[in-house]
Amino acid sequence: MTADTPTRARVLVVDDAATVRLYHSSLLTDAGFEVSEAANGLEAVEAALGASFDLFVVDVNMPRMNGYTCVETLRSETVGTAAPVVMISTEDRPGDADRAYQAGANLYLVKPVAGERLARIATMLTAGRDAA
Amino acid sequence: MTSAAATGLSDADFTRFCDYFYKRTGIHFTPSKRYFVDKRIDTCIRNSRYDTFASWFAALRTADRSDMLQELINQLTVNETYFLREDYQFDAMLSTVLPNVLAARGGAGRITGPVKILSLPCSTGEEPYSIALRLLEEWDQIDHVDVEIHGADIDSEVLAKAAHASYGERSVQRVPKTWLSKYFVAVGSGRFQVDEGIRSAVTLHRVNICDTAAMRAFRDFDVIFCRNVLIYFDELSSRRAAENLYGAMRPGGYLFLGHSESMSRISPIFTPTRLPEGLVYQRPSGAK
Amino acid sequence: MGLVRKQTPQQPEEVRPEPPDTETLLSQLDDPDPDCRREAALGLVDAAEAVPELLARVGAEEDPRVLESILTTLAARDTEEVAGGLAVHLASDEALLRTAVAAALATMPQSVPALLPTLLAAPDHDVRVMTAMVLADLPHPEAHTWLVRMICEDPHPNVVTGAIDALLPSATAEDAQLLRDAVERFPDDPFLRFTVNSALPRLTGTT
Repeated sequence: MTADTPTRARVLVVDDAATVRLYHSSLLTDAGFEVSEAANGLEAVEAALGASFDLFVVDVNMPRMNGYTCVETLRSETVGTAAPVVMISTEDRPGDADRAYQAGANLYLVKPVAGERLARIATMLTAGRDAA
Repeated sequence: MTSAAATGLSDADFTRFCDYFYKRTGIHFTPSKRYFVDKRIDTCIRNSRYDTFASWFAALRTADRSDMLQELINQLTVNETYFLREDYQFDAMLSTVLPNVLAARGGAGRITGPVKILSLPCSTGEEPYSIALRLLEEWDQIDHVDVEIHGADIDSEVLAKAAHASYGERSVQRVPKTWLSKYFVAVGSGRFQVDEGIRSAVTLHRVNICDTAAMRAFRDFDVIFCRNVLIYFDELSSRRAAENLYGAMRPGGYLFLGHSESMSRISPIFTPTRLPEGLVYQRPSGAK
Repeated sequence: MGLVRKQTPQQPEEVRPEPPDTETLLSQLDDPDPDCRREAALGLVDAAEAVPELLARVGAEEDPRVLESILTTLAARDTEEVAGGLAVHLASDEALLRTAVAAALATMPQSVPALLPTLLAAPDHDVRVMTAMVLADLPHPEAHTWLVRMICEDPHPNVVTGAIDALLPSATAEDAQLLRDAVERFPDDPFLRFTVNSALPRLTGTT
């Protein structure tokens, strides 16, 4: 342990499926992240208003507020975060990825995402974050 | 009635229940709440016609029984009403919400029409009268701006009590002594009645929050307190109630829910805003 | 200034403004002002004759708040006409629309069951994923049975994992084998393996 142990990067995992939240939380925790969860886009927005996150992992198909609207809101003046957003979806239609980037996401992945892959991506995306 | 021995919760049951409750309400029960939750569920099961957690839980999830949900929520939440309950939200009203409302409406000098505040449900009146007291005692603009305070509830019995406005010591225990002597009259048996001046400043209404046609009587409210009622409703009713609250608000108006409640399980139509004192919701101020 | 006082002490009043008639509300569904359309949709909750008009607007309404109000009114009418009219949008390319429709259908336990055979056989696996989402929240005693069927029979792993997620809250030790079988069917799906392996101890440890 050095005198300046860097704080863990904070990630918000957003998915209506409890099993998916568990899966992503588990692998991201193993990869050294501090993980919080939200069960839909609106809960994610509320969480983002109350705490600062270094990364968002957001599902598309969620009730109350879907992933695209969630990301748009995170990027809007309601929240205004510039933290990287990875969208993960079961959907693989043409145009889905464009829709994600239009909303403000940095990356669009199709489920299932292998653990090591997501961990690598998350680590890479948060490598440049400001140290606390 | 079922004996307690039949209804004990296993660890898996507790986890399963907490997952369901979180999914349904957004409220987390941590393991530290285990004893509390176990006891309350046990009471619900014993009051029901089910013998085991499994059968009770299955019915709760699949039988579309909003009365079971209401009973459960009743057991798990604190229902007591008293003056200045959750008053950090009244702090927020004074420090941020009302100044924003005034600014949006042209400022104290140019505002047309009163600032309108609604307490729904108002129950036996503690909430709207608390608002009145805090405005009179602590809002620096109170002498420059008209304010209408309205209280509404579905239950005519509690409304009658609100109109009468006489309360026991437990209800007024958070009221500062100076306010108590200034705004209340001791009416014997340890009870205090809100004085006529304050009573006449709160207009009471009987309404069902889920009734769209009836809620049309409420318009242009700048601030609405709707605390600890939406959580009792099933999905469809809570959506409609949220819509009716939206329609009752002025664009840019503010909505306070109970401190453990969230619109994230109800409706996306409001915009969440974080204040120092906590979360509040707004009807978007759009061009109309 | 200050607190506005009532002129005379009043008993709590119940005022119920006269609602606009159905014809007026129907015409307001086309109003350029979204707030007007929203209120019209909400006001039509008791008008059975408005259902076709409201259903027609589900796919066309662009304002999300107006769509929400249309669905809130429609979902209160748990009929095959409404459920069938909504279910077609589960196939929508618009995430907002398909998830909003799924949420509405999940509140309609009377009429959704009749749609399930068709939905479970839909050629588009995305529709079947959305169907699992509906079944996750539909308060119906047979939901478990339909989900079991999806887990056992659906050819697409994302549909199966969606169904497993929906099933787990009500799963018992009797479901353990079908979950293991699902992992066998899709041995390369890391999420499925993880999920089933996490869930099994809890399931088989319960009496």
